[in-house]
Amino acid sequence: MRQSEEDREKLGAPPAHESYLTDGTTVMSWLNTRDHKRVGVMFLVAVVFFLFLGGVFALAIRMKLLYPGPFLFDALTYNRLFTLHGVTMIFLFMIPAIPSAFGNFVLPLMIGARDVAFPRLNLASFYVYLAGAVLAVWAMVHGGADTGWTFYTPYSTTTPTMLFPLLLGVFIIGFSSIMTGINFIVTVHTLRAPGIGWMRVPLFVWGIYATSVIQVLATPVLGLTVLLVALERVLGFGIFDPARGGDPVLFQHFFWFYSHPAVYIMVLPAMGVISECVATFSRKNPFGYKAIAFSSLGIAFVGFFTWGHHLFVAGQSVFDNGVFGVLSMFVGIFTAVKVFNWVGTMYRGAISFKTPFAYICGFLFLLVFGGMTGVALATVALDVHWHDTYFVVAHFHFIMVGAVIMGFLAALHYWFPKMFGRTYHEGWGLVAASLIILGFNATFIPQFLLGNNGMPRRYYQYPEHFQALNVASTAGATLLGFGFIIIFIYLVIALRWGPRCEQNPWRSKGFEWLTPSPPPTHNFDKIPHITQDPHDYRTHAPSGVYTDV
Amino acid sequence: MTENGEHHSALPYFIVWVALVILTVTTYRTGRMHLGTWALPLALTIAVTKSLLVILFFMHLWEQKGANRIVIGTSFVFVALIISLTVADVATRFPLATPAGAPFGSDIPAQLEEPAPEYQPPAGKIGEPPRGVPEPK
Amino acid sequence: MSEAAALPPGEHLVHGTDPHLAHHFSSLERQVDASRLGMWLFLSTEVLLFAGLFTGYAVYRYSFPVAFAASARTSEIWAGTLNTIVLITSSLTVALAIHFVRAGRQRAAVVCLAITLFFALAFLGIKAIEYTAHFHEHQLPGRYYRFEGVRLPGAEMYWALYFLMTGLHGLHVVIGMTVLAVIAWRTAHGYYSAHYYVGIELAGLYWHLVDLIWIFLYPLLYLI
Repeated sequence: MRQSEEDREKLGAPPAHESYLTDGTTVMSWLNTRDHKRVGVMFLVAVVFFLFLGGVFALAIRMKLLYPGPFLFDALTYNRLFTLHGVTMIFLFMIPAIPSAFGNFVLPLMIGARDVAFPRLNLASFYVYLAGAVLAVWAMVHGGADTGWTFYTPYSTTTPTMLFPLLLGVFIIGFSSIMTGINFIVTVHTLRAPGIGWMRVPLFVWGIYATSVIQVLATPVLGLTVLLVALERVLGFGIFDPARGGDPVLFQHFFWFYSHPAVYIMVLPAMGVISECVATFSRKNPFGYKAIAFSSLGIAFVGFFTWGHHLFVAGQSVFDNGVFGVLSMFVGIFTAVKVFNWVGTMYRGAISFKTPFAYICGFLFLLVFGGMTGVALATVALDVHWHDTYFVVAHFHFIMVGAVIMGFLAALHYWFPKMFGRTYHEGWGLVAASLIILGFNATFIPQFLLGNNGMPRRYYQYPEHFQALNVASTAGATLLGFGFIIIFIYLVIALRWGPRCEQNPWRSKGFEWLTPSPPPTHNFDKIPHITQDPHDYRTHAPSGVYTDV
Repeated sequence: MTENGEHHSALPYFIVWVALVILTVTTYRTGRMHLGTWALPLALTIAVTKSLLVILFFMHLWEQKGANRIVIGTSFVFVALIISLTVADVATRFPLATPAGAPFGSDIPAQLEEPAPEYQPPAGKIGEPPRGVPEPK
Repeated sequence: MSEAAALPPGEHLVHGTDPHLAHHFSSLERQVDASRLGMWLFLSTEVLLFAGLFTGYAVYRYSFPVAFAASARTSEIWAGTLNTIVLITSSLTVALAIHFVRAGRQRAAVVCLAITLFFALAFLGIKAIEYTAHFHEHQLPGRYYRFEGVRLPGAEMYWALYFLMTGLHGLHVVIGMTVLAVIAWRTAHGYYSAHYYVGIELAGLYWHLVDLIWIFLYPLLYLI
């Protein structure tokens, strides 16, 4: 407790029991908050809810796939379920999760700011997200969408299921994403505390910044795309209708121009979290700060040049196939740079094997395999064999779950003490992490094999000889589900009954740990003047960071 | 708010306006002249010039910070990106995969002038490589 | 658009007594810079939004060059040209409005904003005339196309894109007009001054973007 009390005295902070959590306890004080921390917590609650909802849909799919023939429900319901699973997981969980929940909470703290640049816009982004999410779920449940989350034309323009409200819901959520992106970019540009130049910005902030750039540039194209599909359904404009001279593949160009950078929206924040956690739990400076920072921007930029690799077998020209195939290889370079940096950071570090570090291990292992299978898929000749099989499904789940959700869980466990001032049970944390990593591998490694052997994705029925692997995959999914449930239980227990922790339980050098845990509403009484680099664990590094501004 | 530059006179705005009107008239006149292949590049050049005038002077980007310029510049780069690679797809496709068998109205006639020649199988016995057909490499 | 947030209870200003300064910004200059950067970012999202439509135009124009040229010739070129002049002039007046506010001449600024609104209405009026003409001639998108003058494949695509692009643009004109109307009211009631005119500036930026998009739409849809 001593260090935190000294820090508190330096900051002139209020006593431990006052914080953003206690500053106004009515419902309205939360619903009408301008505080980025409260907005972050509200986002966290919402995205966790949708994570579980998407997980329920996933388990329903996996239950059905225990048997090759009809089982549990019919094919139309199955189609709706995988659409539900995809839309919920991607638009309602993955895109907003780390940026809007943890980015909102931690980013201003990390740059010594009192709030994000546009606090009311921040609150608005939450309500817009909620409105779009509710509309989307309502639409999907009330007889909507059997198209898959990718809405390919001409099926999406002609399917009798109700698509319009779902498209509208996605459109609205896109606005939330853009608002968040604009807010974060402006925050990082204009609200950095004295002493925090661009090369002193923490690596998580670099990740969020790169993510925000993608959000701002890519999401409008998604908005237009769903608008065009909606108009074609309702008014028959025929932009994608071959009978009118339209081109269905044009939809795929539009859709993937957003959706490929979207996967980097999902993965870059997770990488940022891992950068933070690797430095903290190895107690070592990042192996190459600039390399990690610039590779974030590199991924954001190059990620826009690769969308055509989703169209390799759709009828895209051979020329474009070649171009996109080559360009897709470049993205792997930046990811590899990061992986080598993380490993280099951990090498000869003083490893503290806490729950976040367990997720780091899972992340690294699974990101490498997910990324390598991605590069393999980007090879046109191989993709001809693997496209629309379970190989692709396994690849993107390795990244989406194996990397992004591990990053999310690492963030959740790393910043839980910061956000709520309490610690969770470390033993159960490691148990859950093991279950999740094991369960994940048991779920998705069989799917690589299934896909390579030719099982197509999104199929309600499959040939008998695929059943064994499907059963294995479902067993793994059940383990995975148990892992999540355990996490939910011990974290909720910790929220209410967990032991109160000191200000910096991880002894991290991150700037966000310079405030009390949980922080007061206004973050800092005096804006700090930072004189050291982030993640600086050299023993001779200067320790004092505050001067009067 | 921070620029205390030459804002005593509104003349620069009027000059830019005149330039824009002149460019509009130019694009109208050249547009009606049916210049063939050069029509599109010329029209786009004039449009880009007009937009630069609006962006730099009406929107004051000339005087503002670098970050704002990078933002709008990057967005135009990405517009060029999405248009170029998508058109490249349609432009280089196997012709029957293009929309409605396009391009119509170009030198490919909608109907053939003469009937298609009758199919002649390549000479040679079954099982042997056909004569008159290029060897696979 | 970015006047100071009401201070939460128990908060205190870091320094300064400028009522426009929000508590989390170190200076008004910083805050104004942030507002501008935020607006430019928003404008770039609008640019990318229209980018998709321009891509569709490029693809279908490439595929159906004769139909597109023929259809463009049957569009109301006088309306398009006049609308271009109208929008350019409205950009001038909105720039002048900001100029006048910075010079402390509020009334002149309000007059300029009112003229801008008038031009915006004129734009919409001319557009309405145009659309009516197209409806009468059955020059309609997709499956509603019945125009006898151009019976080529791809003409439906042209009109689908025409209505999409001008329609989305028209929607932005309406949004811009609403924003400008609010800003004009606030200027008339003294919300802005030479010291603080961020609201007008941001509204002006949006209006200039509306003009910018039209600058590209005009030659592509009407002339070539």
